[in-house]
Amino acid sequence: MSLPVSGVHTLHGRAIAFASGIKIANPELTVIVNVGDGDGLGIGVGHFVSAGRRNLDITVLVHNNGVYGLTKGQASPTLKLGERTKSLPKPNINSGINPIALALTSGYTFVARAYSFDTKGEAEIIRAAVKHRGSSFVDILQPCPTYNDINTKEWFDKRVYKADMDGEVKDEPDQQEKIIAAIRKSYEWDEKIPVGVFYRNELVPPFQERIRGNVPSYPGRHPANSVIEKDGIPTTSVSKLIAAKRVI
Amino acid sequence: MQVTWTIGGPQGMGVDTSATLFGNIVCSAGFRIYGEREYHSNIKGRHSFFKIVFSEGNVRSMVRATDILATFEPQTIFEHFTEVRKFVIYDKAAESTDIEKANFMEPELRKEAATFLTARGYGTTAGEAVRYMTDRGVKAVPVSYRQLLTEISRNIKLPYTVIDRSRNTVAVSASCALLGISKDSVLNMIRSTFRNESFAQLNLHAAEAGYSILKKEFDLPGVSVSSHRVLVDGNTLSALGKMYGGLRFQSYYPITPASDESTYIEANQILGEGPDADGIIVIQTEDEISAINMAIGSALTGARSATATSGPGFSLMSEGLSWAGMNEVPLVVTNYVRGGPSTGLPTRSGQEDLQFALHAGHGEFPRIVLASCDVEEVFGDAAWAMNLAEKYQTPVVHLIEKALANAFVTIDEERLSIPDYRIERGRISRETGILHRFANEGDGISPRVFLGQGSIFYTGDEHNDRGHMREYSSNRIAMYEKRMKKLDTADREIPAERRVQSYGSADAGNIILSWGSTRGVLLDALDILNKEKTECRLVQIKMFSPFPAEQVSRLLEGGKMIIAVENNYSAQGAAYVRERTGISTSNEILKFNGMPMFLEEVVDALRLVVEKNERRVILNG
Ligand SMILES: Cc1ncc(C[n+]2csc(CCOP(=O)(O)OP(=O)(O)O)c2C)c(N)n1
Ligand SMILES: [Mg+2]
Repeated sequence: MSLPVSGVHTLHGRAIAFASGIKIANPELTVIVNVGDGDGLGIGVGHFVSAGRRNLDITVLVHNNGVYGLTKGQASPTLKLGERTKSLPKPNINSGINPIALALTSGYTFVARAYSFDTKGEAEIIRAAVKHRGSSFVDILQPCPTYNDINTKEWFDKRVYKADMDGEVKDEPDQQEKIIAAIRKSYEWDEKIPVGVFYRNELVPPFQERIRGNVPSYPGRHPANSVIEKDGIPTTSVSKLIAAKRVI
Repeated sequence: MQVTWTIGGPQGMGVDTSATLFGNIVCSAGFRIYGEREYHSNIKGRHSFFKIVFSEGNVRSMVRATDILATFEPQTIFEHFTEVRKFVIYDKAAESTDIEKANFMEPELRKEAATFLTARGYGTTAGEAVRYMTDRGVKAVPVSYRQLLTEISRNIKLPYTVIDRSRNTVAVSASCALLGISKDSVLNMIRSTFRNESFAQLNLHAAEAGYSILKKEFDLPGVSVSSHRVLVDGNTLSALGKMYGGLRFQSYYPITPASDESTYIEANQILGEGPDADGIIVIQTEDEISAINMAIGSALTGARSATATSGPGFSLMSEGLSWAGMNEVPLVVTNYVRGGPSTGLPTRSGQEDLQFALHAGHGEFPRIVLASCDVEEVFGDAAWAMNLAEKYQTPVVHLIEKALANAFVTIDEERLSIPDYRIERGRISRETGILHRFANEGDGISPRVFLGQGSIFYTGDEHNDRGHMREYSSNRIAMYEKRMKKLDTADREIPAERRVQSYGSADAGNIILSWGSTRGVLLDALDILNKEKTECRLVQIKMFSPFPAEQVSRLLEGGKMIIAVENNYSAQGAAYVRERTGISTSNEILKFNGMPMFLEEVVDALRLVVEKNERRVILNG
């Protein structure tokens, strides 16, 4: 049996850019981006921020283990200042970023955190993220058993709890308050680590709608289903545009 | 009869608008123009100019000498006084301005010009520069702009600062009077150029005033034109060519001189009438890395996709280009070439990125690289590139030099319809289920499937025919060879005559070897030289990959001298010819100061080379 699923293993840091091109060109597809914390929040952080600004209907899952696993455990952008995981020659000289706060201020309209050892909870959150209309982000906490000897399963198990957060925006004036509350909550970390949906807002127009403002036939007509030729003859006529440049 | 007219002024003072106005007037009188826009990487203040060469016949090259220099402030005089042959229109009030006051001129250039003047016994004011010109037979036309415009301001209710901005219209209109172009055609063009009523009125007054300053001094031939002509630049033609070729997605990050293409497409993105009309989606991305990778993503869905950039952006795109090569993605990258390295000469032209385009990206993968040789050709090349990308399922780099991107030329409208152009989408499979995207069919080209059609995998790693990562040796060899094979297929299928052309008599002993934007100026140079028995022919390459090695070897056979002519330091095109054919050039004429080649200097340099066997001539016009 084959699932109607395709995969694109992209360049390190660039998955969001690939995914955006795919989703914009064919909005009929459901597009999920899987990236590491180094990938999505380090080398590709520019794309991460921009995806929020567009509110494009894609889901970004960041598998956050605090290290660059594949390259043997260097510090990732989420590792905290002064921490020294197993393969670091010196303690981390950079501060860690707060992915939830970054996503919120970038414009993601669904922002959540999940814990990979709570598979049921995680699945539920991912399902909600994929269903969300707009750019959604899930920070997935996951121990790296090989290189992260600080944020281990035991470490997380003691701290992670399901937080009941009231992050749903119901009307526009609500919006700023909810973002601020969610950011405040996202700083809860050392003793207790909340997982769940921090923020959800379906009032912001998704990118498809913004494009429709310029191209009324979108997303019904889109780049991937556009007919560009008939028996080889281009369907696009540029003769009017050329004639507009007439000087005689 | 060929006339060269130049207008200059500080950026932001309407130099472009007035040049467009002049160009339109001249074209509507039946002449053909070749206009070149030169500007600084600056928004307001620095010197920009627009040079227009026009004639009743075809104009193919830029020249250095200008017949009429139209100015309305002193700096343009200091920048151009050595080029003027016949007339200079200038601000009388600026006569006493010293070159030291030309604040926006680079200080060393100011010094060069001052030294030039004093060494010849002149002072360093604008008036002295004018005297330098008049001593050499140039007629000086002083205009009291302020006085003239103050009078206009009595009839027009606009602040004087606004009125003062119509100096350029005065200069344009005076130039037209000089050329004997009717006042009506000037006024009519102003009416159709300025939609805003009070601006139209202002400029009509300015034109009346300007026209009365001068009398006809040129005897232009009367020309009658029976078919439509358009005035367009390379940026617009690239956009139109891609659109005609079925472009549906373009991503870009702003950079000179590429962005104008994308903005033009976006402005005209709706194709047809009614709410169901298809559109071209144009996305301004966060950087060029995103631009290329979004375009790749879009291409994977089956949409014809492209991006447009210039040197620094193309550098950032290298990694994506490599991924596209590995995954056999049809992708067009329009690479506008400007002067490098780094930001180099960001608004000037060059041919420095040929080798980069041929090698950008890590690893080995097939790619198609073509360079347009004149403005008109950009249209067909851009449409062609869209086909090549899908036919060979690989990235295509279309090089367009700034000298073509920002050149405005008159083209017969009918030449921009390519009736035999057919969209060729290449090998496409409509199968569903588990898809073998990279199946080997012998010629290197696999049946292409689109995301959403079934189950497909892509990876930048080496992979099997389903796109799953595989490293074992026999697969690696088979896949590598399959990918590279398509370059042989393309080489077999794309006619060599479309990739390299030869001009001039086959028995001319000396061969000029060149590529890209230099073709026009070289053809004009050939016409001049061949009258003098300095016999040369021209071999002009358009496509470097797949490289027409056999044809180039044949065309270069029997050359006494083979002279490379290029806008770069290391004769990159010639080096590539040597690599692919073993044939070396004997002499080089090179220019890398950011300016296009001017006819005069090319003719002089060719004489030096052919008559004196000068090995390497560097042009600095
Ligand atoms: C341009 C580029 N630079 C560097 C690499 C090497 N590289 C591969 S994965 C990786 C880091 C991965 O870290 P993360 O995204 O956190 O994923 P993890 O392995 O921890 O799951 C790096 C630096 C690369 N593939 N491409
Ligand atoms: Mg990681």
